[in-house]
Amino acid sequence: MSFENLTSLLLYNREELPLFNSAFFLYFFTAFLFCYQLARKNERARVWVFTLFSLYFFYKACNEYVLLVILSAVVDFYISNRIHTEERNTVRKRLLWFSVAINVGMLCYFKYTNFFIQVINDVTAGNISPLNLVLPIGISFYTFENLSYTVDVYRREIKPVDKFMDYLFFLSFFPKLMMGPIVRAADFIPQIRKPYVLEMEDVGKGMFLIISGLFKKVVLSDFINQNFVQYIFDDPGRYSGIECLFGVYAYALVIYCDFSGYSDMAIGIARWLGFRLPANFDKPYRSSSITEFWRRWHISLSSWLKDYIYIPLGGNRKGTLRQYVNLMLTMLIGGFWHGASWNFICWGGVHGGALGIDKLWVQWQKTRGWMRETPLRARLWKAGGVLFTFHLVCFCWIFFRMEHFSGAWTLLGQITGEFRGHLLPQLLSAYPQVFILMAAGYFLHFLPPVAEKKLELGLQRMPVWASVAVMVTFIWFLNEVKTLEPMIPIYLQF
Amino acid sequence: MPSGNKHPYPFKIVLGTLLSLAAISLVNNTVSFGGYTLRPLDILADFRTGAPVEDSALVAEAALADSLKADSLAAPIHKDFATYTGILDYGFNAGNEGAGMQHFMHALKELKTGRRKKVRIAYFGDSMIEGDLITADLRDSLQAYFGGEGVGFVPATSVVSGFRTTITHSFSPNWTDYHFRNNPPAGTELGPSGHAFVPAPESWVRYQPVKHHRLDQFEEVSLLYGKGRRNIIVNNKTLELKGKGKINAYSFMSDSTQRSLTLKFLNENPALFYGVCFESPSGIFLDNYSFRGISGIELGKLSRTMWDELQDVRPYDLIVLHYGANVLFWPENTKFDWYEKPMVKVVDSLRRYFPQTSFLIVGTADKAYKKKGKYVTAPGVKALMKVQHKFAESRSIAYWNLFSAMGGEGAMTRWVDTAMANRDYTHFNFRGASKVGALLYKAIMDEYQQADM
Repeated sequence: MSFENLTSLLLYNREELPLFNSAFFLYFFTAFLFCYQLARKNERARVWVFTLFSLYFFYKACNEYVLLVILSAVVDFYISNRIHTEERNTVRKRLLWFSVAINVGMLCYFKYTNFFIQVINDVTAGNISPLNLVLPIGISFYTFENLSYTVDVYRREIKPVDKFMDYLFFLSFFPKLMMGPIVRAADFIPQIRKPYVLEMEDVGKGMFLIISGLFKKVVLSDFINQNFVQYIFDDPGRYSGIECLFGVYAYALVIYCDFSGYSDMAIGIARWLGFRLPANFDKPYRSSSITEFWRRWHISLSSWLKDYIYIPLGGNRKGTLRQYVNLMLTMLIGGFWHGASWNFICWGGVHGGALGIDKLWVQWQKTRGWMRETPLRARLWKAGGVLFTFHLVCFCWIFFRMEHFSGAWTLLGQITGEFRGHLLPQLLSAYPQVFILMAAGYFLHFLPPVAEKKLELGLQRMPVWASVAVMVTFIWFLNEVKTLEPMIPIYLQF
Repeated sequence: MPSGNKHPYPFKIVLGTLLSLAAISLVNNTVSFGGYTLRPLDILADFRTGAPVEDSALVAEAALADSLKADSLAAPIHKDFATYTGILDYGFNAGNEGAGMQHFMHALKELKTGRRKKVRIAYFGDSMIEGDLITADLRDSLQAYFGGEGVGFVPATSVVSGFRTTITHSFSPNWTDYHFRNNPPAGTELGPSGHAFVPAPESWVRYQPVKHHRLDQFEEVSLLYGKGRRNIIVNNKTLELKGKGKINAYSFMSDSTQRSLTLKFLNENPALFYGVCFESPSGIFLDNYSFRGISGIELGKLSRTMWDELQDVRPYDLIVLHYGANVLFWPENTKFDWYEKPMVKVVDSLRRYFPQTSFLIVGTADKAYKKKGKYVTAPGVKALMKVQHKFAESRSIAYWNLFSAMGGEGAMTRWVDTAMANRDYTHFNFRGASKVGALLYKAIMDEYQQADM
């Protein structure tokens, strides 16, 4: 062992993110839990310990940008307090706009500057050089949290926090740093005051979420992505349509498992620390309509968009046409939030359009009761809806995943023009592990919730030593999967 | 079950897990059962000082250096093949004109000075060159310098026709494609691309030029077909083809009023068809013979008669063999005996069939694989490079080290990071292939400038 290794492990390293599935996180989390235990009885001490560890985690993830989260906490804490004490409406409004401008401006600067430079270059045939900007990790999440907090205070829905450290604690809370969920201050702040008490249910539920999150992220998402999905999306022209189609199905699982797995881990870790964060995903591919999909997918984002964009735009209160426009605008902004490129905007746009059509469809079939008259018919409609929604979402994922439109068109061209379905047996035997995992992933997705409850209950009843044994075995298994030699792509002879 | 506040549980579970894993990491924890060995678990890896790892790549390199020392006594080439980025021509050493680059360079000089009308290259490879990757750029540069227009050989059907950007190629779905991998019936003569196509009634194939300099019109067209008599319709004109040999060519000048070329097969008598070649009356031409998933030893399945007759209808001045990606299937494997012997046999027989032709072995590209979370050059790469170099040297033919031309150790990772290769860390994308084409062009031109004739 050497001192240099230790310091390099503790310092920021651009190439190594402190992911929950890294060895670093295990050390960090143990040290943190130890200090948290020591500070357990005193609320202030707990807040300080938690906040300092969170800020360190930020530093480890994004170096000097940790100052950004502190700065935005300072600004929003003070502005919100001013908004609260201020009686004059115009001043309150101005303060709100000031806060919005700072938050959105900061997000735009880091995330979208180069995109806009590119757009200007394309339109004017100019050549402004792009800026050398690194996107501060988590900025998309904490900016939205700041915004909702200030807006809630402005709407007088919540009282602002009176202690700055509480606000910094909320904003920097490390479990949600990397991939959310987007937490509302109104849900979170009251939990700071509560003593650190855990029931067996919390321990079991937390552990279940951490293990299932790790399984989704490392085993399902990373493995399938690395050994199949990225090959197809890198060079779709080299693969037949059926390979491309399975690549898209696989990507749908990969993105869900990656994102929801990480959210689950964040929620599980928070649960172990005495905080309940709302669920962020609810088996989205079981949705039988696109509207339902958005109630089950990235719930913390979709509800945020609804409360702070769709409703302020007028929601459904300003006439039908306006409602569709609002829906579309909200989804376009939601798409753009995911990343600075036309692909994401297009992805949001297709979802916005689909949501609009779904609204029309719901109204149209309301007057046609015969469609769902018998239980069988209702069930068939439901199954058809699930299949249709899944494929619509998959279609949109193509644009989400591809860096350029041309790649998306190539992939769609292969599926529609070069399908070659007879290759299916060859394809399945070329990547056996990938397809076994894919089948398992979708099977688990459609498993009734009772099965999960049973597993959760089992984990709740375990003594500490058994939990340790489960964790050690599981991590050993993860190590095996993580270090498997990547398979090289197999070009089928078709 | 004890009741009350369970707040210490997470700490106990995490601490217990950490200590157990650390303890496991401290002992040798390689576990085997039922013939399957689990990979070692080491959560303390971050703390360990970088002890020298017994890396098979390093061993291969050391062995290389030794073999090179011994060889350099006999050979006049004093360049370390493992790092040299130009073409190493072992043809000169043996004093055997034709096998190295000499014949090809001579042909190029003649072409440039107007004493020769055509120079032709056959470029054999796997998926690295399918869709005309690498070869498109090499051909384009060579034609820009030495003259010539046209894309060369295009098969009747292709799995990557949509992917190829140097010609627009479409065909009916009712062709039968016999090839290396699907046990063609006895008597089916596979062509140089490893395929032979049988049209069904009403089968058709259409080629259209693309908007690119030197590829925007068809001039001299040659149909490559097998034995037997059949009628085909070429752009609405019936043509009778009589194949006497196993591989035959029928050439004609393309009708300048017709942009595209459509072939319809009436098929009263199913006979093999291979493809169409597009050239201009003079210049340099390059045929891309790609077959995905092969290692090169499959070329041994092609018959001597086919090669002989190919040489008659389509004489080649340079044959390039570019393989390796499918030999490196297991990145950590460094033993290639299974590959070396049959491949040497292939090279030997090709040299016998084409005694006057130059031969160039393009060595394996870099290939990276994930080791301890990082993409590094696979240990097999250098070992394979050594094998390929060895048979080039021992057979007195030319060798070009693509691995070192790409930048050597770790090059593939850098190419992936700069969007020049795919994330399989094996294949180039269009940009990367273009760069490889340019590197090979430069290597050939360096030889050309130095050639003393």
